[in-house]
Amino acid sequence: MSVETMLELKHVTMQFGGVVAVDDLSMHIKKDEIVALIGPNGAGKTTAFNCITGVYAPTNGQVFYQDKLIVSNHPQGRMKQLYVGSHKQFPSEVVENTPDQITKLGVARTFQNIRLFKTQTAFENVLIATHLHRKSNLFSATLRLNYKEEQQHRELAEQLLDAVGLLKEKDELAVSLPYGKQRRLEIARALATKPQLLLLDEPAAGMNPQETEALAKFIVGIRKRFGLTIFLIEHHMDLVMDISDRIYVIDFGKQIATGLPEQIQDNPAVIAAYLGVDEE
Amino acid sequence: MKTVKILIALVLAVCAVTVIYFAQSAKDSLPGLLETMDAQQLAAQDDKMLKARDRVTDALEEGDREKTLRNLTRYLDGFSDKLTFSDGVNRELMLFKNYPVLTAGSIFLLAIALALVVYALDKGKKFKKLALPLVLIAALYCGIYIVENITGVNSMLMTVLKKGAIYALIAVSMNLLNGFTGLFSLGQAGFMLIGAYAYAILSIPVENRAQVYQYYAGGLIQFSLPPLLSIVIAGLAAAFFAFLIGLPVLRLKSDYLAIATLGFAEIIRAVFQYEGLGPITNGSNLLRRFTVFSTALYPFAIAGVCIALITLLIHSTYGRAFKAIRDDEVAAEAMGINLFAHKQLAFVISSFFAGVGGALLAMYQTTVQAAAFTSAMTYEILLIVVIGGMGSISGSVIASFLFVAASEWWLRFLDNETMIGSFQVPLLRSGFRMVAFSAVIMAVVLFYRKGIMGDKEFSLARMIGWTRHRKEAHDER
Repeated sequence: MSVETMLELKHVTMQFGGVVAVDDLSMHIKKDEIVALIGPNGAGKTTAFNCITGVYAPTNGQVFYQDKLIVSNHPQGRMKQLYVGSHKQFPSEVVENTPDQITKLGVARTFQNIRLFKTQTAFENVLIATHLHRKSNLFSATLRLNYKEEQQHRELAEQLLDAVGLLKEKDELAVSLPYGKQRRLEIARALATKPQLLLLDEPAAGMNPQETEALAKFIVGIRKRFGLTIFLIEHHMDLVMDISDRIYVIDFGKQIATGLPEQIQDNPAVIAAYLGVDEE
Repeated sequence: MKTVKILIALVLAVCAVTVIYFAQSAKDSLPGLLETMDAQQLAAQDDKMLKARDRVTDALEEGDREKTLRNLTRYLDGFSDKLTFSDGVNRELMLFKNYPVLTAGSIFLLAIALALVVYALDKGKKFKKLALPLVLIAALYCGIYIVENITGVNSMLMTVLKKGAIYALIAVSMNLLNGFTGLFSLGQAGFMLIGAYAYAILSIPVENRAQVYQYYAGGLIQFSLPPLLSIVIAGLAAAFFAFLIGLPVLRLKSDYLAIATLGFAEIIRAVFQYEGLGPITNGSNLLRRFTVFSTALYPFAIAGVCIALITLLIHSTYGRAFKAIRDDEVAAEAMGINLFAHKQLAFVISSFFAGVGGALLAMYQTTVQAAAFTSAMTYEILLIVVIGGMGSISGSVIASFLFVAASEWWLRFLDNETMIGSFQVPLLRSGFRMVAFSAVIMAVVLFYRKGIMGDKEFSLARMIGWTRHRKEAHDER
């Protein structure tokens, strides 16, 4: 059985008070695709990510993962009066999954401002993310009756560190690693949850062109190796144009363009959003 | 090398077993010995001598060793002219006086022999890392036993050791919550109170209940449980309360959580003194005459097992999840860790061990009164955790012994008015100890913020490495 649609957003709207951060965003991502979400600063990209991963409950709209409804909401309480989103049809049901439940379904993410476990080593950072696959309970874990499972988890963590090229820095504190390696460590940690869909929030932020090029190769590599579908937010156009299969562009929360990289490059609306338009 | 090690181990073992054999046979030798010493049957004629002798045998039958030895010395000193001391008798007397020490020493020798065998036969080096710590732990327990028999059960040193062990357990349980899971909770005294009361209520022997609950017609509960079972139930009672309290409270963060748990502890303290609950809690009166421990090995054994369990937990996959929550809640949740379930788990486990610690404290104090479990007690524990280092188990253990020793013993002299010649030392008076103590604490917090251990653990390997390093540096020079 193959799942055709990995992720689908229907009319997702996120409104904070009077500010509409994401407005009527609909998109779909097919299996094995690399899809990018781009837009100027403050366009609502990370908010969209947070709606998908359950950090925020969207004001309106639904998210499906592998055709299963994982997030669904409609304006409630005070938002009923305040709602100004452009989509006025509301789903009837409310489905709220917490971030950990969504991760358990197979959606892993990284963070725009790196969020590693600071007091832990690189190896422990990855090992922590295997916790959700445990079959042991509190007692068997405390009394070390789960040593086989523990062994498997440790091996998996080492393999992942190897895959991102950090095996040598295994026992170093996560915070003492250079910036680029911290980014890769975060990806390794996300991979340890054994995801099918990986959400990358600005993976190339703060990298120079050489590092960005290496990262592009790395992302394509892990997609192949782990059979991933990748959804990324990025500012580096080189990277986005290089690796994405399709691109969504949003500005002020609204989707302004979608299509193949070549189409986006020449799209006047996108150019206007990024560079501004002359007043005539 | 292998054979040499095993041979040494064998010799050690044989020596140890022989000594244990003689020591154990000396245990019951006193009545016969008294007969032999009094070869001329003088006691039958001398009333005083007979009474002195009877005091020895009575104390022996009571099982009070200290009293026996005291009376025996008095008897031997008082009537030495009338008693005959042959070499055999002297040896037997020596054995009787020292058999606990000899037994403990021999058990320690056996432990070393065992470690040597493990060391010699171990090919995979799997147990080598375990051998030395195990020997050291055996040495520690034997040492406590020996010291206890030399200084007596109620000496200051033993008091400090007993209370230190109990505080160590409570401090580690608090560290699990505050240092490892990052939940700033101040409810520890409340959970200790629940544990202490649950233990005391369950373990008062039925025949003592009428006396203890004299204002409540003997109380409601008319059964009594064995101490060990009572301790476990005490822990479970504290854990149950933690579970209930945790449901609303753990949704709060940082300061708010601290305030809520502190409030809970105060409420519990008031509830346990409520007259209406008198038939169970004895109202605001003391609970007393419950089963207590007679040797320092008891709190050491229980605290040791509990701390070992907490250490194992912290190094398991659950402990890693706790530390992840401490470091970054958002990231931990994104990695599939259910925040609330894990916080609740840490809270309940911490409270369980605080309850066990409370039960041990009740045994140590021999009486329990709710009024004593004030928030100041929680601050004492928090202080130990901070001085030892947030996130270090060995730090908490070391700090609790230091803290108890300083507050009960080393700084005592500050409380006594002291004269040097005719000059009265200023400031020294009752209560000054706490002033000095506060100054020490402020100094620690200001200049040594990470505490004794930081978030590192005491490690033999590192210590050996460190001394070697020092030695090499010294040799080079």
